[in-house]
Amino acid sequence: MARIDDGARDDAMLDEFFAAGQAEAPVPSSDLLARIMADADGEAEARAPVVSSGRRRRGWVAGLAAVIGGWPAFAGMATAAAAGVWIGAAQPDAVTTLTGGALPVTSTDYELEEIVPAYAAYVIYQEAMSQ
Amino acid sequence: MAFDQAHDASDEALLVAYGNGDREAAQLLTARLAPRVLGYAARMLGGDRAEAEDVTQEAMLRLWKIAPEWRQGEAKVTTWLFRVASNLCTDRLRKRRSVDIDSVAEPEDDAPGAVAGLIEADRARALEGALAQLPDRQREAVVLRHLEGLTNPEIAEAMEISVEAVESLTARGKRTLAGLLSGRREELGYGSD
Repeated sequence: MARIDDGARDDAMLDEFFAAGQAEAPVPSSDLLARIMADADGEAEARAPVVSSGRRRRGWVAGLAAVIGGWPAFAGMATAAAAGVWIGAAQPDAVTTLTGGALPVTSTDYELEEIVPAYAAYVIYQEAMSQ
Repeated sequence: MAFDQAHDASDEALLVAYGNGDREAAQLLTARLAPRVLGYAARMLGGDRAEAEDVTQEAMLRLWKIAPEWRQGEAKVTTWLFRVASNLCTDRLRKRRSVDIDSVAEPEDDAPGAVAGLIEADRARALEGALAQLPDRQREAVVLRHLEGLTNPEIAEAMEISVEAVESLTARGKRTLAGLLSGRREELGYGSD
């Protein structure tokens, strides 16, 4: 019984000391509060997205690639250009594949030199070189 | 965040708001939490005000850093912050001991014995001196429970131990404190019985 009384008395005493301790808690100085807020601002700034200073300039080719859909678009363009050259060089009599012969055959009287005058000069040059 | 709304907001809501760039939320969190961390650190470090301020600033900085990644609902902000402060204090106490054990300030013995009229500040100082004599873990548990008002489960989370271990540390700490302070009851104006 005496032990219980002692315990209760100790608790009551400690409660008074704790109350005094809570009342006398240290108050942060304005300097400390300013330092803490400076850290908060610094962290917020470090996290903010960089607007323009770090942005890399890109060349006009890369710009063009971006506009037409990226570098894969260049592969398509190269294929189309090669096909165009082949069609031009082979000079098929008529293109009937798509129409299946349903339409009249178009004239083939045009020579390449007529469509691309510079080609004539190229042919003359080639002939001169081969002699 | 509107002013009234911010004042009513939880610590967690304010931390998330700060993580989204709300400076006012950081100010409110500082006003709420810095005094508590400072009080805790000062008691853990035996009243060394400068060191307690450094710990407070460092703990708050870590809070600012984690704000954008804070996982809502996983931990209380105060519990997390006390855990950080606790680890920082422990590191400093370890360093102190390894550097020079004699440099640790002895708890002040304010025994001028002016029995009557001793004010609350004297009692608080006597408590501080007695707390400084407790083993670190007991002191930590007692301070968090009886001066910072955390619940046992919160203390368990902050100290990363079981609730039972918290109860044991607190009980032993209080027993030692009672032994240290009971001899000064009369001196501190509590009467002799």
